[in-house]
Amino acid sequence: MPIERSVLRARIENAAEYIGPLWPLQTFNAANPLVGFEDQSFDQAVQQARQLLGGRGYPHPSVFRQAWENDEIDPEILTRHLADHGITQRPEVLLDRMESDDRSEPAPPSDEPLDRVTVKWLSAFLDQGQAAWPMPKRSDGFYAAWRAVAPYDNAVPSITRTADLPDTLLEAFEEVLASYPEKRWESIFVHHLAALPGWTGFIKWRARRGNTEWQEAYPITLADYLAVRLILATHLDAAVTPDRAQDLPANGTDRPFLPQIWLRAWEKSYRDRLLDTLAQANKDPQASRDRSPNSARPDAQFAFCIDVRSEIIRRHIEDQGAYETHGYAGFFGVPMQHQPYGAETTVKSCPPIVDPKHRIIDRPADNTAEAVDTYGWWTALETGRRHLVKTLKSNVAAAFGFVEGSGGFFGGAMAARTLLPSALFRLGTRLTDWIPQPTAFTEPTVDRPSADDADWENGLPVGLSHEAKVLYAEAAFRLMGWTDRFAPLVIFTGHGTQTPNNPYKSSLDCGACSGNPGGPNARVLAAICNEDAVQNELREREIDIPDDTVFLAGQHNTTTDEITLFVDDRTPTVPSDALAQVKDDLKAAQAQATTERVRTMNATVDSGQPRAAVRETERRAADWAETRPEWGLAGNASFIIGPRRLTETVDLDGRAFLHSYDWATDEDGTALENIMTGPLVVGEWINTQYYFSTVDNAAYGSGSKVTQNVVGKVGIVQGNGGDLMTGLPLQSLQIDDEHPFHRPLRLLTIIHAPTERVDAVLDRHASLVQLLDHEWIHLTIMDPTQNNRFFHYEAGKWTAHTDASHASAEPALAARTS
Amino acid sequence: MSDPSTSEQTEHTLHPLKKIEIIVRGEKEPFVRDLLDESNISGYTIHHNVTGRGEHGFHEGRLLFNDRDSLVMFFAVGQEESIQTIVDGLTPLFEQSSGVMFVSDTSVVRLDKFLKED
Repeated sequence: MPIERSVLRARIENAAEYIGPLWPLQTFNAANPLVGFEDQSFDQAVQQARQLLGGRGYPHPSVFRQAWENDEIDPEILTRHLADHGITQRPEVLLDRMESDDRSEPAPPSDEPLDRVTVKWLSAFLDQGQAAWPMPKRSDGFYAAWRAVAPYDNAVPSITRTADLPDTLLEAFEEVLASYPEKRWESIFVHHLAALPGWTGFIKWRARRGNTEWQEAYPITLADYLAVRLILATHLDAAVTPDRAQDLPANGTDRPFLPQIWLRAWEKSYRDRLLDTLAQANKDPQASRDRSPNSARPDAQFAFCIDVRSEIIRRHIEDQGAYETHGYAGFFGVPMQHQPYGAETTVKSCPPIVDPKHRIIDRPADNTAEAVDTYGWWTALETGRRHLVKTLKSNVAAAFGFVEGSGGFFGGAMAARTLLPSALFRLGTRLTDWIPQPTAFTEPTVDRPSADDADWENGLPVGLSHEAKVLYAEAAFRLMGWTDRFAPLVIFTGHGTQTPNNPYKSSLDCGACSGNPGGPNARVLAAICNEDAVQNELREREIDIPDDTVFLAGQHNTTTDEITLFVDDRTPTVPSDALAQVKDDLKAAQAQATTERVRTMNATVDSGQPRAAVRETERRAADWAETRPEWGLAGNASFIIGPRRLTETVDLDGRAFLHSYDWATDEDGTALENIMTGPLVVGEWINTQYYFSTVDNAAYGSGSKVTQNVVGKVGIVQGNGGDLMTGLPLQSLQIDDEHPFHRPLRLLTIIHAPTERVDAVLDRHASLVQLLDHEWIHLTIMDPTQNNRFFHYEAGKWTAHTDASHASAEPALAARTS
Repeated sequence: MSDPSTSEQTEHTLHPLKKIEIIVRGEKEPFVRDLLDESNISGYTIHHNVTGRGEHGFHEGRLLFNDRDSLVMFFAVGQEESIQTIVDGLTPLFEQSSGVMFVSDTSVVRLDKFLKED
């Protein structure tokens, strides 16, 4: 039966909608594992996903019990919700019932032998440099390479000769699908893709970005995967179309059930307490005036990423003196690929939903030859050492002698890493002080090279045109509503984590930079904003930057809360005393912020020691056995779009994304539109990833770090094989085996703007309406034209918020005491 | 100045062909590109950031920080069989994903531009 290639391709594309994309470890991106189900209501989506992927959609009853016992669920709200569905039993009785219902859920069936063989060949083919002996014939593509080696696979004895297998991909499909009508193909494909959603999610990612080095060298598509798997199924007597794949997963029922009601009650409890706190903080007009934009010029202003971790450090910086902070997406609005100094490859440094438009290369600045030489000498030494060690380790002849000869040295290093992580951290700090770092002697190629020297790669030009520079600078200030009142010092502060021996490092870096540190983007925006030509044009657009304002870039180390400023101390562009004061204050803020964070990490520190908490975080940053260097974005629950003055007097407990926005300077709503369609969508991806990783860590997370292994440098498996794990590890979500730190709540968005303004944005964006109507996020407006009253978006309508005075006497969010 | 004896008469005859216009979400751009690349048409045009109203509501095109949700429009011209191959690939896609395609009769002057050399 001949198969039309274009039809086959479309059926596979449709089937792949049910699989979330999985990025390789180096650029671990937060994404909703159920992104392909977002066109359905949350409830129907999780029911379908349960059928297909076997994952839980709502928190385990024990999680609800803990929330209930910790007073995180308001009894009145819960009772009201239950009553709306005709349920009058006591919450404790319902918790018991949920637990007994939960135990009776059947386990999903498994295709174990077929999975095992498929995974073996996938991990061999997709290896990205970990294997010393790679699979042969990979450059022919996955199907052809597998076809060549399949006769040697003892697990499939029925394949004895390559000639037994179909010559081409298309012939493979024709052979297997001959007896099925086209309308059945999709359900067959869905079943086999969903059997290994980790591997297929990774192939989906890699195949769609054909320009990656590995994909170009060793091409693989989902069609390759399906052809191999379907042929294997016929040889292993596994069902090509098992019963459960007779049809695509059925739509879920509309039956309200207990976990759904409890989750909504929990979310509303969080919402009402947060709104109550915001209302209290903003009811005193005098306090608002004191914090109005017309008060005295601050000494410095910082722009941080909207990341929930920024909320903590921002609070403590503001406490130190005349400092203001703003929130902006941590790629600082520059959609770029970044090539760090000395690196041969570039990394994407903008959100997963944005395509890079520029290539930025770090190159040595003028008069830095000495620093360049010193750095070059040290890195050449280190590269040579690594190369030698790798060669000796993987060489059959040398491996045994190498272990004998070097065992003492490596044993000592292992002991130091294990027993003296803090000392190693201090040694590392001293080394980086001593050896010049690239950030000190390089500058980003912000300018376009001359036309005859133009350097393009993957269709991306190096540097930015003048128009692009003005666009990104203006976008930054317009989106933040920051069009006047610039301090003498403005610091764009990206963020990155510090953690050794951690395959999940990129999950702790900046989500707006596709799992990379945001410092390079901050440097680009600072360089742009320091240009006279850009400032002149901004002035014409009524963004008046004073002549004495200097823009700097920095990076917030989210493990230790240290903020490094990218400034050449030998030739600082700001007065050295002002710079020294800022650095001192940042240290003080670090001490306070780490004290706050360490309390949540099961750590015991000597509170009598002034920098004990800093030391503890530094140990975590250096300890190769530390499974939880920091909490990442765990706890995230809300996304607040509005001026900082609304929130600066409250402690949001590191649970809120904060995007600065001023409705009064955004008359046509463009800024709000860009925030809602960009950063908010990324926030939803992050929030849903944390949600699903928490509610079902086996299906949507990645299990305990203790039993994880890296495979092929692309992903993580549990134990020695199986599917690639797709989400976050347990230690990033739970305090211990039984207590989640991350509370699985869907993202509550709060926008400080008139309802008409938000309506106008929603009218233009069906995709946002879909997220709201299907309850993937919740939305509340704080309307400044109606005395800051709150309105909730509910089923396409605005519902006025009723007073939250009935909320628990134990507010979840405390006012700031300082 | 060219030699008048070798120049041929410029042809102004119109040749009938089919035109296809396709509008999909940015996310589906790679799929449609692959489909067009593998079909027997010689080229196509892509408009990014297209704005318009569809079955599910309005889609504003000019998004600063989202290339996934913006709409993309393709158009291509070719012989009926080539356009039919593209239609065959898109028909199943639109069973699941939002998007539209329009096929219409069109005419071109320089036919050789639109016939792919095998």
